[in-house]
Amino acid sequence: MKFKKSASTVPEVDMTPMIDIVFQLIAFFMVISNFEQTQADERVKLPQDQLAQPPQVKRDKEFVINFGYDRNKKGEIIGAGTPLVFYAGESLPVQQFRSPLKLERDNYVATGVDPKDVSVTIRSDSKVPFGQVQELIKLCQEVGFTTFALKAQQKTL
Amino acid sequence: MKIRNKNEAAKIEPQMAPMIDVVFQLLIFFMLTLKIVEPEGDFSINMPVAAQASNAIPEQNLPPLKVQLTAQANGELASLKFNGSDLGTGTAAFERLNGLILKAIGRPGNPLTEEQEVEIEADYNLNYEYVISAVGAVSGRMQKTSDGKMKMIRYIQNINFAPARNKPGA
Repeated sequence: MKFKKSASTVPEVDMTPMIDIVFQLIAFFMVISNFEQTQADERVKLPQDQLAQPPQVKRDKEFVINFGYDRNKKGEIIGAGTPLVFYAGESLPVQQFRSPLKLERDNYVATGVDPKDVSVTIRSDSKVPFGQVQELIKLCQEVGFTTFALKAQQKTL
Repeated sequence: MKIRNKNEAAKIEPQMAPMIDVVFQLLIFFMLTLKIVEPEGDFSINMPVAAQASNAIPEQNLPPLKVQLTAQANGELASLKFNGSDLGTGTAAFERLNGLILKAIGRPGNPLTEEQEVEIEADYNLNYEYVISAVGAVSGRMQKTSDGKMKMIRYIQNINFAPARNKPGA
C-alpha cells in the first residue's frame, strides 16, 4: 500500500456557504442598525399612539426636551414623584428649567437663528400630569419658542 | 526539466482563516450595536399661547368642538366628554370620539371643515398618555390601503389646549 498524499488527511472544509451566510448577516445588521444621533433619554417612557407619524421631512432645527421620572430597573418611579426635565446631564423640575432654556434661546439668537423657527420637541413620559407638560410649554412660549411637537411611540397593530 | 504536479501547483488555496476572523468581528459588532426601538412619531401641534388664543381666532361659523378629559386622583382617566356628552373611559371611548369627530367634519378632507378647531381641556393631574390618545383620536385614523400598507386619514389639524383645570393648591 502506498500513501502518496499525506496532506489530504487534513479534511478540506468548504467555507463558501458559511461565508455567504455570514455576509448576509452582516449586511442585515448593517442595514437595520441606526447610528443616528438622537437626543432621546431612555428614562422617558413615551405614550403610544398609532397616529404618531415620523415627520416626513426632518426638521433642521430641533430642540428636544426630555421630561419624565427617574426610574429603577423595573421601570418603577423612584424619587419624590415630581416630573423632571432631563437636560445636559441634569435633572431639573420645570420651574428651574427657565434659565437653561433662556441660555438655549440666547445660543440660537447668537448663531443667527430665530427661536420661532426652532421646533421644540417634547418627549414626555406617559405618566407625567398634563398640567406639568402645559407648564413646560408655557415656559417655552415665554422664552420665545413657538413651534411644538409632541412625541409618541408609534404603536404597530 | 521535469515539471511535476503541474495541476496541483496552479490551484492557489486562499487563506480563509483571517478573513473569517474579521468577518465574525464585524458580525458581532453589528449585533451588539443593534438596538431595537419602536419608531417614534410626533404630533405637530400649533400651540398658540392660551391667553392669546381667544382673541387670535378669526370669526368662523363652525361650532367649536370641545373635548374634555377629567382625571381621578391618581391621574387615571375618569371621563371623556365630547361637546358635553360623556363617552366613558377606556379605548372604546377614544374610538367613539374618533367616530364623532368624523361625523362632525362630514368626511375627511372636507374643504368646509378644514379650518375646524378642537379644544382639548384636561385636568391638571391627568396622565399625559390620555391627552396623547385624545390628540390621536381627534387628528385622524389609520386605514389599510389596497396594497396592504397603513395610511393615515387626517381629520382635524387645528388642536388647541385649554389651560389645565383643577390645579392642586391653586
